Amino acid sequence: MFDLALLVQGLPLLLAGLWNTVWLSACGLALGFLIGIGVCSLKLSERGALRRLGGAYISVFRGIPLLIQLLFIYYLLPRLGLDIPAWVAAIAGLALCSGAYLAEILRGGLLTLPVGQVEAARLLGLRGRTILTRIKLPQALRATLPALLNEVILLIKASSLISAVGLAELTRTAQNLAASSFLQLQFYLAAAVLYCIVNISLALLAGQLERRFEKGRA
Amino acid sequence: MNQSAAKRGAGDVMLEARGMSKRFGDHTVLQDINLSIQRSEVVCLIGPSGSGKSTLLRSLAFLENYDDGEVFVEGELLGYDRASDGRRVRSRPSRLSDVRRNMGMVFQQFNLWPHLSVLENVMEALLRVRGMKRDDAHRLALATLEKVGLAEKAGAWPNRLSGGQQQRVAIARSLAMSPAIMLFDEPTSALDPELVGEVLQVMRQLAEEGMTMVVVTHEMGFAARVADRVLFLDQGHIVEQGPPTRLFRHPQSPRLAQFLGNYLERNSLFEAAPALNRVDD
Amino acid sequence: MDFSVLTDHAGEIGSGFLVTIWTWVGGVLAGVIAGLIMAVIQLSAGPWVRGVLRCYIEVIRATPFLVQLFLLYYGGPSLGLSLSPMAAGLIGLGIYGSVYFAEIFRTGFTSIPRGQQEAAAMLGMTPWQIIWRVQIPQMLVLILPALVNFTTILGKETPVLSIITVPELTFVLTGVGAETFAYVETLLALCVGYFLLAELCSRLGQWLERRASRYLTQGVQQRRALKPRESAA
Repeated sequence: MFDLALLVQGLPLLLAGLWNTVWLSACGLALGFLIGIGVCSLKLSERGALRRLGGAYISVFRGIPLLIQLLFIYYLLPRLGLDIPAWVAAIAGLALCSGAYLAEILRGGLLTLPVGQVEAARLLGLRGRTILTRIKLPQALRATLPALLNEVILLIKASSLISAVGLAELTRTAQNLAASSFLQLQFYLAAAVLYCIVNISLALLAGQLERRFEKGRA
Repeated sequence: MNQSAAKRGAGDVMLEARGMSKRFGDHTVLQDINLSIQRSEVVCLIGPSGSGKSTLLRSLAFLENYDDGEVFVEGELLGYDRASDGRRVRSRPSRLSDVRRNMGMVFQQFNLWPHLSVLENVMEALLRVRGMKRDDAHRLALATLEKVGLAEKAGAWPNRLSGGQQQRVAIARSLAMSPAIMLFDEPTSALDPELVGEVLQVMRQLAEEGMTMVVVTHEMGFAARVADRVLFLDQGHIVEQGPPTRLFRHPQSPRLAQFLGNYLERNSLFEAAPALNRVDD
Repeated sequence: MDFSVLTDHAGEIGSGFLVTIWTWVGGVLAGVIAGLIMAVIQLSAGPWVRGVLRCYIEVIRATPFLVQLFLLYYGGPSLGLSLSPMAAGLIGLGIYGSVYFAEIFRTGFTSIPRGQQEAAAMLGMTPWQIIWRVQIPQMLVLILPALVNFTTILGKETPVLSIITVPELTFVLTGVGAETFAYVETLLALCVGYFLLAELCSRLGQWLERRASRYLTQGVQQRRALKPRESAA
């Protein structure tokens, strides 16, 4: 059931898989964050059509399961003549999906800002975009940092689905090792432990930040 | 006051604390409390906020577990059982409920259950604890609501009622279980001033009917007129106790004198006749 | 595009749809029951049991659902636990869901004022009666949005079951796609199908919330903060 020698042998591969998981998720998050800011400003726009567009993006990319989105990108783009590498498809999938969630998180953060601050900025003659980037976003970011970290955890977990489109991230690596060694339990457990280490550290960090902010506010 | 002499004759001890202490961490909230309450006696606990009077009352009901000493309800030890090796262990919930079966409690925040109607609030324990038939419980609940003057609100939701009405429902809920002793934890402190009277009226009526009552209150007028005995608590000690006339007219300890002084000052600013002048009405 | 593939395989697709619904409903039911039990244990057990349960919850929350499924389905046999894909899928969904439901219930329990339990205890109600008659009815209204929300999330996890060959909607439609090369049509059908399911679920939830709040919430302090974070998957 367990074979320590094989585990030690497979460990470098697992760690390489973990590295792939982490950087794919990080890229997905970074790109998703940009998408999130865009969608969030659509959603907060004064024009009804733009607001609806933002809303539609959010409900489509939150409503359709990530696995289906990944399959869509993976199978469809090549058929449209776009021959993209698997890792680009993976990052795109993660980014598009997390963009929808991040937009909602940011919107939540922006909506909690006191109206008075924006009014004060406007009276000082700051323009709309300046107000957004210099006053609203920095505060929204700080207020939503714990939620953002939580989103990172969710994204790292979601990235396991990339294995379905054949990319050798952590889950896929474990799958390969498990299949070739017939030590299914051992290698899946190893993958689970690695996920736990990363995600529980992130969760602890999120908790720490949350406490610090609460103290700062009190 | 007037009926107290007749009441005292009853003589059995309903509730007793012997050397009870209570700590929160390093902080001692109650120290060596000795207290004995007779049948039909009305005892009011007064004292500055933080003096431990609410904690004392809650300990008498074992909503707070006291650390040292003992509390007896009609002679039965409350909250703990003797283990075979002589040490005491916390009672199981069923045993605890059994010891306080004759005890009712009314809270500052009413604590009505908002998902049940007024009538259902009163019926709930009759059905599930007393095991009464639905018809009987219904009849008794209505009769009890009638007693506190709220029969017409039986179908209402608790949160649609005024604070005073809610507190009367809470009294009815407790009363329906026909307790022999009732504890009141600042029953009027959460009420708007104009709603205090209706609740005190119900409590006074209970006292006149001979209910044994322990009341934590800031209503000195009520204490003066209804209590047989007033206990003044400060910093976890019973500093002084006695009949209200003596305590209010001739406080022995400087702390009680100061407490009453503050109280009078606050309440007599705009009133020609503060409540204490009517002690013997 | 030629959507006749869909009508040609209507029978399989229909059964896949039913399997999706069944695993979803089954997973939610198992998760709610197990989650409620875990929440009640956390409420009443000693520090040791609570600590162990806490660790279990954190571990399940920190690992991807897919890895849990693999552990259960492929790793199970080495522990003498051989499950069919369907059974593994249902149990997996149940386990994954239970820890989130447990957290929802726990927050619900702690959001009800303590005084209400004290009042019930003083009237002689047993701890069980207090949980069932005082805490759960009120808590359900408070946590309904969170319950609906997570039920939708769990529905969006069901396509993952296709990876361990549970014959649900994704499995059937990707199979049809591979067989007929009609990838676009089948994937579009999947998108529409799951989107509609998610919409249906949230509409149903909103309707339930309206009914529940009309019926019950009169004065239970509403705490919207109860709504948990949505998952990215």
